[in-house]
Amino acid sequence: MKPLPTLQKAIPFFNMSTPWAAALLTGTALSLTLGSGGVRAEVLYTLETKCALKGAAPVACKVEAVNEEGSTLYRHTIGTTTHTLRISDQPARFSLWDGGSKSWQNIRNATVLFSSNTLCLNDKDLCVVNPNYLNSLLQDRPDFRGRDLIQAHFGGNGRVDILCYDGGCDLVAQRKGVK
Amino acid sequence: MGHPFGATLSLLTAALVAVPAGPLLAISTTPTVEKDQATLQARGGGGGGGGGRGGGGRGGGGGRMQGGGGGSRARTGFSGGGNFTRGDRKPSGGFSSGDRLNRVNNPSISRPASRPDGLQRQGQGLQRQDGGRSLGDRSGALVDRNQPFDRQNTFNQGDRMINRDGDRTLNRQGNRTFNRDGDRNWNGNLGNRSVNIDRDWNREVNIGDINLNPGWARPGWGVARPWNWGWYGGWNTPSWGWWGASAAAWGIGTLATAAIINDAVNDAVSQNVTYIVVPNTGYELQYGTIQPYGNYSVSFVVTANGTSYQINADCNAGAINGRQPSSAQEAELLNAACQVAYGNAA
Repeated sequence: MKPLPTLQKAIPFFNMSTPWAAALLTGTALSLTLGSGGVRAEVLYTLETKCALKGAAPVACKVEAVNEEGSTLYRHTIGTTTHTLRISDQPARFSLWDGGSKSWQNIRNATVLFSSNTLCLNDKDLCVVNPNYLNSLLQDRPDFRGRDLIQAHFGGNGRVDILCYDGGCDLVAQRKGVK
Repeated sequence: MGHPFGATLSLLTAALVAVPAGPLLAISTTPTVEKDQATLQARGGGGGGGGGRGGGGRGGGGGRMQGGGGGSRARTGFSGGGNFTRGDRKPSGGFSSGDRLNRVNNPSISRPASRPDGLQRQGQGLQRQDGGRSLGDRSGALVDRNQPFDRQNTFNQGDRMINRDGDRTLNRQGNRTFNRDGDRNWNGNLGNRSVNIDRDWNREVNIGDINLNPGWARPGWGVARPWNWGWYGGWNTPSWGWWGASAAAWGIGTLATAAIINDAVNDAVSQNVTYIVVPNTGYELQYGTIQPYGNYSVSFVVTANGTSYQINADCNAGAINGRQPSSAQEAELLNAACQVAYGNAA
């Protein structure tokens, strides 16, 4: 008979029989050193999920979350195209990599709908089902619990101008014409 | 350097410099340690949240509410300057790999015309859901503890709902196996629901020390569950051998359906309640503690008679703590835990 796990073992971080524990170890092993500056990047996870571009039909996509110093990169690969989102906090900034200008462009708004596990950027320019990000967000911000829709509107400097919740976002949308 | 502390510091510094451990190893392990601490801090926060549960007591509904979710970092909150965080911390339960695309809904930020089930009802607070009857009472008419207990009326409400789901005999037969195994405790305070506590439920836990609010326990939890694996991932009516025949042997016509259990979780999530009352039992399944392990097993915490226990279940073999369920109630508990862990849920 397989020994029964203890409570401590049931906590996934300590439970080496669980895949995420193994994934964590793998992720640690995958820790990379980038460049001579010692900036480290760690793959947090890869996620097979669905994305939608500019309101088009959802398609399969892969998300790779990479933790860097001071920010987390989310690489959304749809077919042969990759859309990279960079999120940094303190303060919260969202920016998308623009391959044309080869620079990071601040986004206008980010929307989270917990009930559909969706994150959208710039209205519906890029939408992705990423429960992992939402899980992290909820655990970092327990005051978000009980909310369904949360929307951040960013100013020109990339800082959050307005954070609205649920019905409050309808008011913001009326004022700003956000669809 | 005349101060002894200064001398000690010098010795420690010299020792650190002299340690010949491979620098590569040191570099590669540092982030892991940081992440360990972060995870532990988050869990510690969860425990702190537990403080809001009134010390874990059972005295009143508010005592069972989650304490703000716990797991907060010091830098969270408006003073931190950031409202969305970057998602670099591993949440409870870990990260999903999403390798079962058929479980992933389409991305959408369109809110339904009515809010996700129950969100409007948050202001009602928590009402005690005796014996699972409220699971059958979708009208929102829950037991009012300030009023004399109307057993007949309340049970009729439960029966009506169960009839709608085709489980006509659930409530009527739920007690047949009661006390069959010489249960230690009998508590007649939960209506006509007994609470079986088998002798091998011997791992008591303090739920105040456990994060009952993992990030996945929210609207959309079926997709948000970090695990997307398991031997039978995704079913509506279990195909396991024990589900039908054994259920009959345990004295119940059928076990609660996935829909009933999912609805219970949905309601609990929307009302910020950390547990569901397992249908036809007095067990409170702390659904946020559910953790799959192996390919088809699950561990979880259940609260019965005010005490919480760590339980393991094998969803394939139909075993709970390594043996066959000793009662219909245990079978329902097994069924509910396995459904929340592995069953289909939007």
